[in-house]
Amino acid sequence: MSQISAKKRFLAVMNNEKPDRPPVICPGGMMNAAIVEAIQNSGTSLPEAHRDPKLMAQLARAVQLGTGFENFGIPFCMTVEAEVLGSQIDFGSLTCEPKIAQEKYGSSAEIDPADIVTLLGKGRIGVVAEAARILAKEYPSIPILGSLTGPMSLAASIINPLIFLKDLRKNPALAHGVLDYVTKLLIGFSEILAESGVTAISIADPTATGEILGPAMFKEYEVPHLQKLIAEIHRLGLPVILHICGDLSAVKPLLGEIGADVISVDAVMSLKKLKEEFPILKTMGNLSTFLLDSGPAARIQQQTGRLMQEEVDIIAPACGLSTSTPLENIRAFTAVVTRTS
Amino acid sequence: MAKLLVELSNAVVGMDEARAIYLAEEVITEKYNIYQAIEQGLVDGMDRAGKLFETEKYFIPELLMCSDVMYAGLDILKPYLKVNQSAKKYKVVIGVVEGDTHDIGKNLVKIMLETAEFEIYDLGRDVPPHDFVVKAKEVNAQIIALSSLMTTGMEKMANVIQLLQQLGIREKFMVMVGGGPISQSFADQIGADGYAKDAVEAVRVAQRLVGKISFSCQWRI
Repeated sequence: MSQISAKKRFLAVMNNEKPDRPPVICPGGMMNAAIVEAIQNSGTSLPEAHRDPKLMAQLARAVQLGTGFENFGIPFCMTVEAEVLGSQIDFGSLTCEPKIAQEKYGSSAEIDPADIVTLLGKGRIGVVAEAARILAKEYPSIPILGSLTGPMSLAASIINPLIFLKDLRKNPALAHGVLDYVTKLLIGFSEILAESGVTAISIADPTATGEILGPAMFKEYEVPHLQKLIAEIHRLGLPVILHICGDLSAVKPLLGEIGADVISVDAVMSLKKLKEEFPILKTMGNLSTFLLDSGPAARIQQQTGRLMQEEVDIIAPACGLSTSTPLENIRAFTAVVTRTS
Repeated sequence: MAKLLVELSNAVVGMDEARAIYLAEEVITEKYNIYQAIEQGLVDGMDRAGKLFETEKYFIPELLMCSDVMYAGLDILKPYLKVNQSAKKYKVVIGVVEGDTHDIGKNLVKIMLETAEFEIYDLGRDVPPHDFVVKAKEVNAQIIALSSLMTTGMEKMANVIQLLQQLGIREKFMVMVGGGPISQSFADQIGADGYAKDAVEAVRVAQRLVGKISFSCQWRI
C-alpha cells in the first residue's frame, strides 16, 4: 500500500510536484463513471441520485469504490446549470443520462437574464453542493471534482443550438451577452462548490471544439469566457481541469492562453505530442472510452501502460463513458495505474 | 444568366441572404431556367461551402449560415419548379439515436444530403431503434442514417442493425453511421454499411451506398 493519500497525490500533480505515480480519475459531469454496473451495487439508483444530495454522495462513493477511480466526480450529468437557467430536462434512467428535453430560448435575442444570486438558490445547485459537503466530511483523503458545463455548451443548452451557432456569426453582441450571462452563473456555481469543499473544478465544453467552431470563433468567444471563469476559480484557490473534445489541432495555439491547469483530451489526440509542444501544461487522459466499453481487458491494460510510459500527468478516460461499460474493464484500467509504483 | 448563376452561388458561399433572395426573384421575373438556378447557383454555392468546410476554411456556424441562404433561395424558386415526377429520389431516414439529443451534426448531414437531391425523412433526436425501422419500411427508404455524439448512443446503433436482422430485412436497407465517438472500425464491428466523418463525406458515402443498392437489386432481379 502506498503511503500517500489519493487527495495528496492529486494535489501534488496540481502543484507541479512529481508524486509516486499518476492519479487515475474520472471527473464527473460529461465524463462521469456512474455506469449501470456501478449503480446496481450502490443501494441507490438513477435518476433519483441526480436530485438528492445524500443519494448523490452515496452513489459517488459507490462509483469510486466499484471502479477504482481515485476521486469523487459530481454531478453525473451536464444539465444542472441548464435546468437552473430554465431549460426542460429529461432526467433519463439507469442506462440513459439526463439530457435537455427543450431549450428555454429559441434564439439569443429572447434571453431575459435573471438575477444570478436568485438562480444559484434554484434547481440542483444546492444538491451538488450538499453532496460535496457530505463527501468532504466523510472522506477527507479523497479528492472531490466538481464538474461544470462549459460556457458554449451551456449557452447551447438554453438556446436552440443551431440558432445559437448562427448567432455567433449573425449577432456577435447578443451571443457575447449570452456567454457573459452563463459564465456569471458558472462563476457563482464554482464559488458554492468551493465553499462546499471540492478539491478542483473540471470543465467540459463539448460544443466548443475546434472542429465545430474553428480557430477564429474559438478565440473570439470561447477563450475570453473560459479565461474569465478559470481566473475566478483560481481566485477561489481551486485548480481547473479543462476537457476539450475531438481533434483540437485547430485550436492548439490557443491552449496556453486559456489558463487551465490541466488539459484533458479525446482519444484521437496524442498526449505525448501535446506534452512536447506544451511542456508547461499538465495533461490528462486519454484512454478510449470505446475500448473501455468493448475491451478486451488485455488491450485496455496495454494502452494504459502506454499512457503511464508517456508520463501523462493524470490518467483518465478520454471522453464520456458508455453506461453499459463493464465494471470489470474499468477495474482493469484503474488497477494498471494504482498497482504500479 | 451565367453571371446570375455565379452570383447566386457567391451569395450562398458569402452567407448573403438578402442578395440570394434578390437574385432568386430576378430569376423568376426574368423567366430564367429555374432548375439551372437551383443546381448551378444555389446548390453549387452549397457545394463550394462544403469544400471550404472540408479544408477547414469554414466551420459549422458558417456552413449553417450558407445553408440558410440556400434554403431562402430555394423557398422562392421551388414553387415555380415543374416537378419531374419520373425523377426518383433516393430516400434516407435520418435521426439521432436514443439517449442523445445533440443534433447539430445530424442536421448538417441532412442539409448536405438534401443539397445532393436525397429525399430526407428526419426523425429528430433521441429516437428509439424501433422508430427508425418502422419509418424506413413505411417510406421504402434506401438508407437509414444514424447519428450519435455520445458513447451511450453507440449501442443503440448496433440495436437498429440487430432489429433489422431479427425482422429479416437487413439487406433491404443500407445503414450508415456517424458522430463524434464513431469510427470506421466501430461501423465495421456493428455491421454498418458506411461511415462518414462529417456531413460532406456523408454525401459521398450515401451516393456510394445507393449505387450499391441498385447494383445488388439488378443482380437479384
